[in-house]
Amino acid sequence: MSTTIPIERLTSRRKTRQRRRSGPIGAILLFTVPFALMFLAFYVAPIIYAMVQSTFAQKSSGLGLGALQEVFVFFDNYVRALSTPSFIASLGRLFLFCIIEVPLMVITATILALLLEAGKAVWPRAFRVIFFMPYGVPGVIATLLWGFLYVPSTSPVLQGLAAIGIDITPLQPNSVLFAIANISLWVYAGYNMIILTAALNSIPSELYEAAKIDGAGEWKTIFLIKLPLIRPSIVLVTLFTIIGTLQLFVEPLVLSPLTTAISSDFTPNMAAYNQAFAQGNSNLAAAMAVIVAILAFIMSFGFLRIVNKKGSEAW
Amino acid sequence: MKRIFPAITTMAIVALALSGCSSGAGGSASASAGSDDGGVTELTFQSWVPNVDKAVDLFNASHPNIHVTLETITAGPDGGYATMFSAVKAGNAADVAQVGYDWLPDFVRNDAVEDITQYVSGEIDKFVDWQVSAMTFNDAIYGIPQASSPLGLYYRSDVFKKAGITKAPETWDEFYADAKLIRKLGKDNYIAAFAYNQTPWLIGLSEQAGAKWFTAGSDSWTVSINDDATMKVADYWQKLIDEDLVKVEADMSNEWYKDIQNGNVASWISGSWGDAIIRGNAPKTSGNWSVSYMPQWTAGESATGTWGGGSANVVLKGTKHAAEASEFALWLNSNAESVSTLVSIGAGWPAIEDTSAITSLTNDPDVFSFYNDQNIWKVFAESDANVQNDWRWPPLVSTLYSTLIDNVKSSIDNSTGLSNAFDETQTGMIDALTQAGVATTTN
Repeated sequence: MSTTIPIERLTSRRKTRQRRRSGPIGAILLFTVPFALMFLAFYVAPIIYAMVQSTFAQKSSGLGLGALQEVFVFFDNYVRALSTPSFIASLGRLFLFCIIEVPLMVITATILALLLEAGKAVWPRAFRVIFFMPYGVPGVIATLLWGFLYVPSTSPVLQGLAAIGIDITPLQPNSVLFAIANISLWVYAGYNMIILTAALNSIPSELYEAAKIDGAGEWKTIFLIKLPLIRPSIVLVTLFTIIGTLQLFVEPLVLSPLTTAISSDFTPNMAAYNQAFAQGNSNLAAAMAVIVAILAFIMSFGFLRIVNKKGSEAW
Repeated sequence: MKRIFPAITTMAIVALALSGCSSGAGGSASASAGSDDGGVTELTFQSWVPNVDKAVDLFNASHPNIHVTLETITAGPDGGYATMFSAVKAGNAADVAQVGYDWLPDFVRNDAVEDITQYVSGEIDKFVDWQVSAMTFNDAIYGIPQASSPLGLYYRSDVFKKAGITKAPETWDEFYADAKLIRKLGKDNYIAAFAYNQTPWLIGLSEQAGAKWFTAGSDSWTVSINDDATMKVADYWQKLIDEDLVKVEADMSNEWYKDIQNGNVASWISGSWGDAIIRGNAPKTSGNWSVSYMPQWTAGESATGTWGGGSANVVLKGTKHAAEASEFALWLNSNAESVSTLVSIGAGWPAIEDTSAITSLTNDPDVFSFYNDQNIWKVFAESDANVQNDWRWPPLVSTLYSTLIDNVKSSIDNSTGLSNAFDETQTGMIDALTQAGVATTTN
């Protein structure tokens, strides 16, 4: 996050130079138009296109070997998606995953950040890099690595455990969500930790001194000073995690061939992908994608509302 | 900030794919516009068969007027077909492409392939009947069959011997008895894997038992995925699973490769190309393998099946050179030298009727020595000759595949039985076809 500072400085310097030449409107256009054009072309237009596509369907007739016809079907694709039991099940699974993953991630990242920040931390820089490193491993690679570790016949860890009488098979139906949560945690905990560490570092040291003078111990400092002051960052991390988990896709897709517990529509995103690229029904896929986007919107803004209602000064 | 946009990007990706302007589709096929510089017709050929360039080179060397550029693409089901469909929609598809027999109905349905009857009708008799049937819809020919995948039983003769089994199982009853003997060898020893990930394998087993899942009537499909033959197969494998006589594991997975290397999985029912998979992934087991004809439901019969039918070369819609493209597809798959090359690179069992001139089938020391000097092609020649001409692939085959896999997986997880998985697939497939406007009936 520290990289943003020099850019801001740079832009403000350029802004002042620009103002002298062509006035504020020119400067505003210069800085917003390229972004706006790209945003329209690569975000807004495809979303609108997906929404339009989601109201059509490809129909054939008879043996289905004649040419296809594109038919306007209003909200049929949405009705079909929402009346498919496996799609509803995938939504339920996703919420379950959110309930497992979000607290796990936020608590882990906070603890890691607090540990690194603690005055007695040993080699804080080295540990920060070590915790952050998994984030540099692409999701697919990370999942492949964990996939090897999760399958008994290829996993030295599970084989070792089996040798002392502990048989664990992480990719069973009742544990597969935890197996996936573990991968996400491994990849993203370090990233979230960095955000929280940055927030902790920006707490003025006078506050710690004042706390010490008032006789607060380490625990009290954590609960009365550190946590309340990094609350905005914790909210941010929670929000990222909620949105990230709603997009759950790569991990189950890569693990799917290794287990009977992951179907082709295990998560809503997988269901949409499966419809678009395996089953050739891009209209239904567009409807599913829109449903996921709306849910992500509702959940993130719902979460923000709940947090803000408590009347925090910090946000 | 990286993770705040995925909801939007997912939609963006879907939308981009819809509009057919994904970079893969647009960029890759740009050469297909073809120019006639100096009277040479330029063609683009999309395939994922490894080393197929050797056969393409043969064609180019012997055809001064046509130059074919090979474009290696992702295997069809993994995205290759999606790329082709988008390119056809965008009007910049390749001229010739690789398409599985199972997917051809969907290509016809999406109007993505040229009717090449007029260019090839004179020579189509060179190919095996059932494979020509797989190319023919509404009396028009839509592709040139390249290679089929007749099934056979690959087995570890050393493991079988160790278990006291002296000959390959000739019936499924013998296979069951052998499974018990091999299971006694150790806690990790199984006669075979139950490949829950592999629809073509499940279909091949059902086809062998006489199943006909799809029958084309005059204007509707008769769908019977849960017919008696299929149920017989389902109950048989369920029994093996229940008695822990087969290992429930995905084939061609890391786990499975390890198991065939160390003999924990002692056999594999697969197509003729399975040889390349086994030799490539378990080279140290050379000399330990044999191939036999598939076990039979009724002793003395020679019923067989295929692994997803086979693979064809089609002329994609929108080409400016349909005649030359057809000529290439025809030559590639019927010229003796070319077919011999295709066989040796592991493309599959040749689709031509007369294989007497195909040298790589009669003399292939690399292959035969791996099987203790057995000429394994004799088994597949017999198997291919016995494939029945009554299996039909339906439209929406990908829906069939993913529905069946999902149902099989869930039947294993919830112990509801494989037969239930086929029942569910029957319902699911009829529903999907009906939704797509395809007329269906049931028996």
